[in-house]
Amino acid sequence: MSHLGERVSALVDGELGHVERERALAHLTFCADCRSEVEAERALKNRLRALDGPAMPADLTMSLLRMSEPGGPLPPRVRPFPDASRSFGGVPLPGMHSGGPPDNRPRGRAQSRGGRARRAGYVAVGLTSAAVAFGTMFVVGGLGATPAVVPQMEKFANQHKTTAPYGQLNVFGSASTPPAVPYEPARGDGAPYARSAHDTPTPTPRPATPAPGTPSTPPLR
Amino acid sequence: MSRSSLGVLVAAVVLLSLAVSARAGTVPPPDQEGDDTGLHLLREAAAAARLQDYTGTRFVTSWGISGASSTLFDVRHTAAGGLFVDDVSPREPGRWVDPGSLAGGMASPPEGMLRTLAGNYRVVPAGGGVVCGRDSLIVEALRPDGTRAARFWIDELSRLLLRREILDGAGRVAYADTFLDLTLPDPRPVPPATGSAPAEPPRVPSPSPSPSPPQSLPQSPPGPEELDRLRARGWEFSGSLPGRLRLFSASDAARDYLYLGYSDGLSVVSVFIQPGDLDETRLRGWHAQSLDGHTIWIRDSVEREAIWASGGHVYTVLADAPADMVDAAIAALPHEGEPGLWLRMGKGAARLLSWINPFE
Ligand SMILES: [Zn+2]
Repeated sequence: MSHLGERVSALVDGELGHVERERALAHLTFCADCRSEVEAERALKNRLRALDGPAMPADLTMSLLRMSEPGGPLPPRVRPFPDASRSFGGVPLPGMHSGGPPDNRPRGRAQSRGGRARRAGYVAVGLTSAAVAFGTMFVVGGLGATPAVVPQMEKFANQHKTTAPYGQLNVFGSASTPPAVPYEPARGDGAPYARSAHDTPTPTPRPATPAPGTPSTPPLR
Repeated sequence: MSRSSLGVLVAAVVLLSLAVSARAGTVPPPDQEGDDTGLHLLREAAAAARLQDYTGTRFVTSWGISGASSTLFDVRHTAAGGLFVDDVSPREPGRWVDPGSLAGGMASPPEGMLRTLAGNYRVVPAGGGVVCGRDSLIVEALRPDGTRAARFWIDELSRLLLRREILDGAGRVAYADTFLDLTLPDPRPVPPATGSAPAEPPRVPSPSPSPSPPQSLPQSPPGPEELDRLRARGWEFSGSLPGRLRLFSASDAARDYLYLGYSDGLSVVSVFIQPGDLDETRLRGWHAQSLDGHTIWIRDSVEREAIWASGGHVYTVLADAPADMVDAAIAALPHEGEPGLWLRMGKGAARLLSWINPFE
């Protein structure tokens, strides 16, 4: 396979399709020349990005990210009338964020209606009250109790990737339950990995296995 | 005479039963260390990954439903500063990660992870090899039936983990994480924090003026009372999944979902449970698959990803694990049929009527 050439730039910009990207990455596994070209390109792009001005504060970035997530909370849109896209049978469904496209249907025609429109209005009121009852059945039956959700993939992926199994302090439960595991710096034996983690005693009857080269307390005889 | 031969016999029986229970793998014997003759090498690798300064390029490939997916990372580690990982294809900026996490390539698995590994597999040395032109020691994790579950290449000189492979039940490599190049400025442990910042490698620019590498703190798997507390709040989950996967973390700290982390000491399977109905109209880039008549949404990436709805909850699985293990885990999680529309309407109507007529 020939060198990546101009594909280096596309790769660094994340513009290659899956198959082409795989091919380019496969080439990089054995071609140190192209790897250093990728490095140079990235260094340049990063330097340019750094010139872009002051970075946004981290929490602002995070809230923007969260807003752009498909499952993230969106500010509820205020509407004078309940509209079909977020209500069922005239009853707004509780817990449902309006994630659908904005309703752009023309409303102007409704202004120029006469007596025929009024009769249609009575019918509409009748229909609405039927629909209210109908909708209430759903709400009471449990449809309204469960919100429509989409997994917050970005957040989930981050938690999946950055959690060190058996290695991080995890707060079990919500804020009401404080973390039960106190920080324990090291066993004092200077074992380097003790800085990372070792199990605090658990109910599981599993004796701690001393690492090689670390002095363990002599067993009682 | 007879007493001593009886003693030998008892010792032999005890040894034999120990050996059998070690192989059977059903109940982990209290101390398998004797059998795990390669475990100390993984411990040394874990230590080296936190003490050794290095820079390099890591290549990660996983083989999923539609072939291979790969990622190329630049990595830079200092004992004082931590591990910085930067994806070559910059979908996201580089970041500081825990070297014991997937993002850190599991370069430094915490002791609990190594013990889980040793409890589930036999960890043995298996000769030597060469990675990035460096002589390395190979360590294998073997299943009770003797088949390989993982292979590790550990640098002979620095003890850094150079390559890690996870194999599926059929012996195929399902996941590989390897250094393509590695630079050790000073191949010996560096004393921590000398005051002056270590020289920045020119090719990896600093991501932010004040990087804060993640702190690793000791942790034990959730105890029974923690799990009881979560279950009392209405969460339903299992302490284990097929494929020797054991729960190492459970948390609803995010309030709107429950996070469950499972591992066998090699792979990681994360399960996220959200109350609610799945809004399928907003799943872009996912395709539906059928599992015993239930719909599962999947997507291709280096991780295996799946979403489905069951019993008023939405389940999301993210896994860095062989496909057979992920499939078994997904199958073991709840897949209840949704209560139908008319059933729920019926329930609602019945309840309304009971309000109108309390004698109903
Ligand atoms: Zn090339």
